[in-house]
Order: sequence, then structure tokens, then C-alpha cells
Amino acid sequence: MDTNSMSYKSKQFLMFAGVTTAVFAAVVIVPFIYGLYLTFTSWDGISTQKPFVGFANYAATFADGAYWQALGRTMIYSVIAVILVNVVAFILAFLVTSGVKGQNFFRAGFFVPNLIGGIVLGYIWKFVFNRAFVALGESLSIGALSTSWLATTNGAMLCLIIVSVWQYAGYMMLIYVAGFMSVSADVLEAARIDGCTNMQSIIHISVPLMVSSFVQCLFLTITRCFMVYDVNLSLTKGEPFNSSVMAAMHVYNQAFTYKNYGTGQAEALILFVVCAVVGVLQVYIGKKAEVSA
Amino acid sequence: MRKKLLAMALVTAMTVSLTACGGGGDSSTSANGGGSGSGSGNVAITIFNSKIEVQDQFEEMAKEYSAQKGVDVEVYYSSDTVSAHLATRYSANDPYTLSMVDAKDVYSLAAEHAADLSDQDWVKNTDYAISVDGKVVGFPVCVEARGVIYNAEAIEAITGSAFNPDDYKTLDAFNGLLEQLVAGGMTAPTGIMKEDWSLAGHFLTETYEQQPDVDAYISALHAGTADVVNNSKWNAMMDTFDALKQHNYAASSPVAAEREVSEQKLAEGEIAFMFGGNWDWSMINAYDYSENMGLMPVPQNTDDGSNEKLVGGGSKYFFIDSSENTSEEQRQAAKDFLNWLVFEEDGNAFLTEKCALVPAYSNIDASALDPLSKSVKKYADEGKLIDNYNFLPDDHFSICGAAFQKYLADQSDRAVFAADIEKYWSSTAPVEH
Repeated sequence: MDTNSMSYKSKQFLMFAGVTTAVFAAVVIVPFIYGLYLTFTSWDGISTQKPFVGFANYAATFADGAYWQALGRTMIYSVIAVILVNVVAFILAFLVTSGVKGQNFFRAGFFVPNLIGGIVLGYIWKFVFNRAFVALGESLSIGALSTSWLATTNGAMLCLIIVSVWQYAGYMMLIYVAGFMSVSADVLEAARIDGCTNMQSIIHISVPLMVSSFVQCLFLTITRCFMVYDVNLSLTKGEPFNSSVMAAMHVYNQAFTYKNYGTGQAEALILFVVCAVVGVLQVYIGKKAEVSA
Repeated sequence: MRKKLLAMALVTAMTVSLTACGGGGDSSTSANGGGSGSGSGNVAITIFNSKIEVQDQFEEMAKEYSAQKGVDVEVYYSSDTVSAHLATRYSANDPYTLSMVDAKDVYSLAAEHAADLSDQDWVKNTDYAISVDGKVVGFPVCVEARGVIYNAEAIEAITGSAFNPDDYKTLDAFNGLLEQLVAGGMTAPTGIMKEDWSLAGHFLTETYEQQPDVDAYISALHAGTADVVNNSKWNAMMDTFDALKQHNYAASSPVAAEREVSEQKLAEGEIAFMFGGNWDWSMINAYDYSENMGLMPVPQNTDDGSNEKLVGGGSKYFFIDSSENTSEEQRQAAKDFLNWLVFEEDGNAFLTEKCALVPAYSNIDASALDPLSKSVKKYADEGKLIDNYNFLPDDHFSICGAAFQKYLADQSDRAVFAADIEKYWSSTAPVEH
């Protein structure tokens, strides 16, 4: 059989990837293109008519101050949350691979928050911030705790970051744990014989050998933070005074609540482009830094 | 060859499992468990219910109605916003036969999607039906109104005399009572819902609705000629809001107040007043409530009579789909259903007793209502309802709500708040009507 012929190759492709490609096209590619088309209409989401308006939605997007504020807010949130998630996850991973007693139990424990859905998590933490902390603050008369953080502009953002770190750190920890495990023991042993301290062997041996873990973790956290919606909805709902509305929530409101479907879609597209550029750039830089032992 | 077979088998298995994951979606109840009337030969209609508090009652009613009338009824509910949910159904060419929506949705949907109901008998029995382009399209489900909810039991426990809301029409009298309550040990006698639909959708809207000519006022706002900060109605309402705000139990961080907590405090008499409406009863009755509660007009220092009236009217409207996705038989069955609600004893009992709704039809008798609905019915029967303004743009809640929250949290003053509202309206027009 000629394994190089076009028909053989396409048969092979169809057999192994045909179904997935078709499904991918049906649920991602086609909606994406259709969405792109909708950005050029002034559809309200429910009407039978989709009047063509050219670039009016993009003009509206650029004029929509609330959207750019939300996007800027999302960037600030993402930068802080991504750094914190990864720092915490890395430290956790280091601790649960250093041979402490019951480390498998801790690994499971730190991972559990990630198994709780974002909506539920938001409601749980809302209770903690609104009631538990306040009750604690009042009984111990700690001024900073006696009013709900969710009621202040910066406080609400801080709460979002805390919850995100709590949610994702365990998940990222697992990837870092895999990274730590993949560093072979002989390299570490050689380093120790050469006189490396613990700290030095982490910085100079482990970290360079687990760059791929960093790339993965950063990619996952960046995209998730940019797209955050569920925790945002259930924890702050954009309050107080719409000061914690993230980009995804603004897009949803614009498209479905304010019934400007076209504008919302255009804003979503810009969010996608920002996300894609940041994500790809980060992976590209990260890949360059990878070394092989 | 064997490998190829194995691969094919795997692909098939995965495809099947994939399609098996499809389907599902909205929660629904089928009247006879068999989907849309499959096999029974009956006409099948679908109803979209957007009042979560009566979903159980609707499902139960659907079963009984189906058994009695030989029409398969399926009831759906969605936690999504009404327009977003209907949008998905319309894009799937699978609209509901009957959809229960808010008044503003009727205005935005009717021209394209609603059937003409002008010839129906119930039209002459109600003051609240919605007409678009001269055709009746919206069937009012119930009457709802807003004002200040009071807990008379809690008030009387302190004042020692019977509470009559008519004695507190003016803000001066109301303030006097609040002082009396504070002196009597109720340190914070009021609660304020910080939700944007309550602040901007209800309270702020009331400052529009009480204007002598609301359409003219909104037009002036849109044209930039309305002077909000010097408007007498606005100031009268905001003075009262200040009084509520001053005595708010959550004054230290008002935008963190949770609705459940406020409703519980009100139900149990820890606070005595909160701005709200008769829909709040569905939350109040979850707690250890007092029967001696009611709804009173917002007290104001004014003599235009608006402090003797609640604001409200028809709430939640049914419309019947007019597209070719709904057959004539289905439309007729849907019309029969609406007639059943208005003209048959079972239908009346379903509305007023099972769902505890204030009827919007003059022929329906309602004696077994909850305390708040009783107040609404009393004011409605006396003609003391100021009409709802149903033409607010969809982003009014959110944008003006944020401005109102700032005012509530003392992060802006009345002049800034008024300017925010003027700014909002300068770039936004009301829904066409």
C-alpha cells in the first residue's frame, strides 16, 4: 500500500481525526465565523432581522468606556492573580514533594478547592467575607474586618484575587509537583555532591528543568484569569457600583442584558484577541527558555 | 486489518458517546411524561414561566390541566434573564407557545413575535392588558405594586398604639415615628435593599413615575433639559430615602447588606420598614413572619397626593407566539388556557389561591391573599395605583443602579447622583412605545 498517497493520508486523517474535526468545526469554528458576521449587524439577540451596520459595533466598542475600564481591571486582576497563584502553587508543590509526612493527603487537600465549581465557590466565599469575617472582626474588634470587604471598591477586587488564588493554586500545584518529580534524582544528587545548598539546587537545577511546567501553568492561569466570569458573578456580581465588573461579565451584559448583541460580540472578539496574543506570546517566550537535560 | 477494525470500533464508540452527551438542557416537566404529546394525539403547548416562586404550582397545574382538558402542557423555567433565554429558543426555531415575560419585553417582542389577542373575552375585564400598534398582545398575569413594607406588630410593640399607615403620609410624621422607634429601643428601624433592580428599577423609577407627566419628564431628561437636582418630586423622594438611609440597620456598610438578611429582620420585627413590593412576600414567608404586615405609600412631604398611592399595575405578561413554528391548534389551545385562567373557577383558584397572586381581572374574587398582596388589592380597588413606567432601557438598572449605590454608600451626594442620571439619559432613549 502506498502510504504516501494523498488518498491514503486523507483516509487516515478522516478515520482518526474526522469526527473530532467535524465536532470542533461545528461547535467552535462555525460559531466563531457566525459570531464574526454578527459583529457587523445590529441584532438585538431575538429579532428575526439582522440589519447590516458595517463597522458601527466596533466604533461603539471603542467608545464604550465601561468596556475598556473592565478590560483594564481584568488586566490588573490577571497580573496579580497569575503571579500569586503560581508563587503559592510552586511553594505548595515544593512542600508536598519535600517528603513531609502525609504529603499525599496534603496534595489531595490542596487540590479539592479546584473541584468545587466557581459559582458555588463564589457563594461560599461571599458568606465568609460578608458574615464570617465581619462577625470575627466585631467580636475581636479588628477594624479592618468589621465591615465587609465586598462593600468597597478595592476590597471587592482583593476578594476576587484571594478566591482565585485559593481556587487555582491547588490545580497548578499538581502540575508543579509533576515538574518536581520529573527532575531526575541523579542530577540533584550530583549537585549536592558538588556542594549545592537546597536553595541553590532548586534555583539552578530544578527550576530550569521544569520550565515546561511554568509554561503550562502560566498559560492556564492567564487564560482563565482573563476569562473569569463565574466567580465574578457569584462573589461580587460586579458590585459595588459596577466597580468589579470584569471584561467577560461586561461582554455578557452588553450582549444579553442590554440587548446589544452585535456590540457585545465585537467586544468579545477583542477580548479573544487580547487573550490569544498574551497567551501565544507567553508560550513562545516560555518555550525558548526550555532546556533539556 | 484487525487494527483497522479496532480503530473503527473505537471511533464509533466515541462518536456514540459524544452524541449521547448532547440533549439535556432546560428543566422541564412533561404533562404525561412522554415529551410533546407523542402518541396521545393531543395538542401540545409549552409555557415559559418567569416567576420562580410559582414554578412548582405551574408544574402541578400543568398535570391537572392536561388530564382535564386533553391538552398536553409543558412548563419551563430558566434562571437566565427572560430576553436572553427567549433569544436562544427563537434562534433554535423552537419558541414557547405561551411566554410569561415582563412588560418591557412585550414592547420589544410583540411586533415580531406576538399573536393578536384583541378579540379575546378577557380583554374587557382588565385595565392592565398591553397593546402594541393597536392590538392587544399582552395578557396580564397579576397585579404587583411597590411602596414601603411595614411590620405593624413590631411598631405597635414599641408605640403601644395601633399602627395606621394613613397617619404617616408625610415625611415629618414618618420621621417622628422613626425617632419614637429609636427611642423605644429599635436602634435601626429600616432596611434598604442594595440590589440595582430595587434601587434603580424601583425607587429611582418611582421618582419618574410620580411626575405629573412621566413621558414629558423622560423626554426632557433625554433632551438634557430636565433639572433633576431641583425637581420637587425627586427631592421629595430622595428626602425620604435619606431618612431610610439614616436609620438603615446596615448603615456602616450598606452595599454589603444581603436581601435575605433584610427580609428576615423585617419579617421578624427587628426592623420595621423597608422599601419593596408585594413580591417580597415570597421571601418574607420563609421566616418566622408576623401576619400584621402591609405595604404603604412612600411617605413624602408633598401635597400632590402621590404619598397616598402605591406604584404598580400589571406585572408579568403572557404573549402567544405568532410564528409558523406554532400551529393554529396550538395557538387556540393557548388562548383557551388564558380563558381558563380568567373565567373558570379552577383557573381563578390557581391564580389567587395556589400562586397567591393579586388578580388583574375584575371578575376574579380574591379574599385569601397574603398581607402585602391584600394592601396592593386595597389600593388597586380604590384606584390608588400610579402606573408603572415600563419603557426603561435595559441598561438603566445597571448604570443608574451603580450611581444609586454610590449615593447609598455615601460616595457621592445628591447633586452628583442627579448629574449621573442626567448623563445616563442624555445618551439613552426610552423604549419606543
